Amino acid sequence: MKSIIFDSLIFAYIFMVAFIYAYLGPFVVRGDEDQWVGLLPMIGLSLILFLILGAGLNLLLKRGRLYTLGALLFEAEHIKANRIPTPLTKNFWFYQLMIAFVFTIAVGWDATEIKLYELFGYEGLFGADGQGGALGIFLSLVNPNWQILPQGILAIIETIYIAFMATIFAIPAAFFLSFFAAKNIMAGNSVLFGIYLFIRTVLNVTRSIEPLIWAIIFAVWVGIGPFSGMLALMLHSIASLTKQYSEIIECVNEGPIEGIQATGANFIQTIWYAVVPQIILPYVSFTIYRWDINVRMATIIGLVGGGGIGTLLMMYQGQALWREVGCLAFLIVIAVWAMDTASAYIREAIK
Amino acid sequence: MNSEDVILKIQDLEKTYPNGVQALKGVSFDVKKGEFLVVIGLSGSGKSTLLRCINHLHEPTGGKIELNGKDITHVHGGDLKRLRQSVAMIFQHFNLVERHTVLKNVLTGALSRTNTLSSMLGFFSAEDRQMALEYLKLVGIAPKANYRAGQLSGGQQQRVAIARALTQKPEILLADEPVASLDPATCHTVMDHLKKINEDLGLTIICNLHFLSLVRQYATRVIALRGGELVFNGSPKDITNEWFEKIYGEGAKEVHVN
Ligand SMILES: Nc1ncnc2c1ncn2[C@@H]1O[C@H](COP(=O)(O)OP(=O)(O)OP(=O)(O)O)[C@@H](O)[C@H]1O
Ligand SMILES: [Mg+2]
Repeated sequence: MKSIIFDSLIFAYIFMVAFIYAYLGPFVVRGDEDQWVGLLPMIGLSLILFLILGAGLNLLLKRGRLYTLGALLFEAEHIKANRIPTPLTKNFWFYQLMIAFVFTIAVGWDATEIKLYELFGYEGLFGADGQGGALGIFLSLVNPNWQILPQGILAIIETIYIAFMATIFAIPAAFFLSFFAAKNIMAGNSVLFGIYLFIRTVLNVTRSIEPLIWAIIFAVWVGIGPFSGMLALMLHSIASLTKQYSEIIECVNEGPIEGIQATGANFIQTIWYAVVPQIILPYVSFTIYRWDINVRMATIIGLVGGGGIGTLLMMYQGQALWREVGCLAFLIVIAVWAMDTASAYIREAIK
Repeated sequence: MNSEDVILKIQDLEKTYPNGVQALKGVSFDVKKGEFLVVIGLSGSGKSTLLRCINHLHEPTGGKIELNGKDITHVHGGDLKRLRQSVAMIFQHFNLVERHTVLKNVLTGALSRTNTLSSMLGFFSAEDRQMALEYLKLVGIAPKANYRAGQLSGGQQQRVAIARALTQKPEILLADEPVASLDPATCHTVMDHLKKINEDLGLTIICNLHFLSLVRQYATRVIALRGGELVFNGSPKDITNEWFEKIYGEGAKEVHVN
């Protein structure tokens, strides 16, 4: 069944792309959105048609004993075992894959509006008058204005502290939550497992929303500045750390837990004496790494008003003061490199 | 012997695991105070299950267990903790906290009588510390008290586990194949310590073993399980070749550990 659905989707995709291009011409029509909206019912209808067509074609192919991609992926093991190995080019799925691939590249080329003449054109590189352009910006960047160095250092310190506070505040919350997000601890009964599923879902949703979005939300909530940036990073860190922490808990050795349980220790003592010693070093390691990541993220978050060096960078960039931007970029590189090296070093040392 | 000497009474004990495996099918026997009782049987015959039911690492699903005349078949909360305190256990893989020091591992034997907050901060009573050190001396690991447990050899770790068990001040010591992952020489050191504890401290021991030669050397009484049922209960010297085949199946041969 899976195999049929999969193959029909692939066929429908190929037909659809071919159809749209033949009928509407390339994606260049994107400028005219109204035309697209008008065509939507027809496109939807033809999609359904193609899906049915694809399924039919697939059944036909199956009858002809052709080895399709869906079969390759989803066929039961015992059927697969009976297939006679054939060279790649003798298999139908190979051509199916190739055609799908070529179609995708073609559409992708179109959709990303790749224009080689822009990439290597004179105007983009040197500017219309031979002055500005990308090369000009680049030259300013590598010739930084050191006068704003003190200001930049203050800003990057702010960034590092934003990251630090976000991490520090996230630790206790993540530590606490991680036990409830660990399957081996929560698998005991259905109530616990319900809590586990709930926490996991909330965490996944939180994590999948970019800190950048959180920063914008918090900027509205508490005002633009370092505080909103810190809150955004904290939320993201809680979600990420809880996931990493709980994965560590999930692979602890059960032996010591039994050993401590058998002494008559209570639940908290068992966690403290048998689980915590096993997880503490990986926790520290992940936490330092998270701080390191947070420094990088705090820079980005600053771009949308989360404070620190990102905000400063945005300001100078807005005024096209590229030599100042160069100075800040230099500081960021130094800070990120230092954090990265230090965190790697510490993590190595405590392993 | 009168019935007052019976410390543990097991009646028709049954254990069916959630996956449907019936590991114990009604096992009955008594354990007298001061005995060194050895449990033998093939792999999968239910030896570990039996021991784990006694201290409720697994919950029995039928029958009855009495400790000193008190029904302990189903206990919870404080009663469960008191039961586990008085029925200590050592394991095949030692189950120490490898990152903690030897002394700290031994002190965990005192967790059940230490309040939660103090124990989390590492405060144990002076008596408990004293006791832990004494038991470490007893098993000959005192010089390594401040080593990390993970740095010790297998035999040493098992002796630390014995010290931890003793620190519980138990009435019974359960030992689940305590020497199965040790070499023959180390194996005898550990068994000798158990014997000494049994004789000098009068601690009742119930021990799962694989090697009959060890059984003859250390056990005061033997019970044998086969497929979750008790098939032998008697003195080690009564295990004749005939019994041996009954316990381990026909064609089985005895191997020796020297
Ligand atoms: N946690 C468990 N869940 C389900 N079945 C189990 C569990 N533990 C043991 N069993 C099953 O119960 C039976 C008895 O196992 P048990 O571990 O008590 O045997 P054993 O005599 O200790 O064997 P061994 O000498 O290998 O340690 C086996 O069939 C085993 O597969
Ligand atoms: Mg076992």
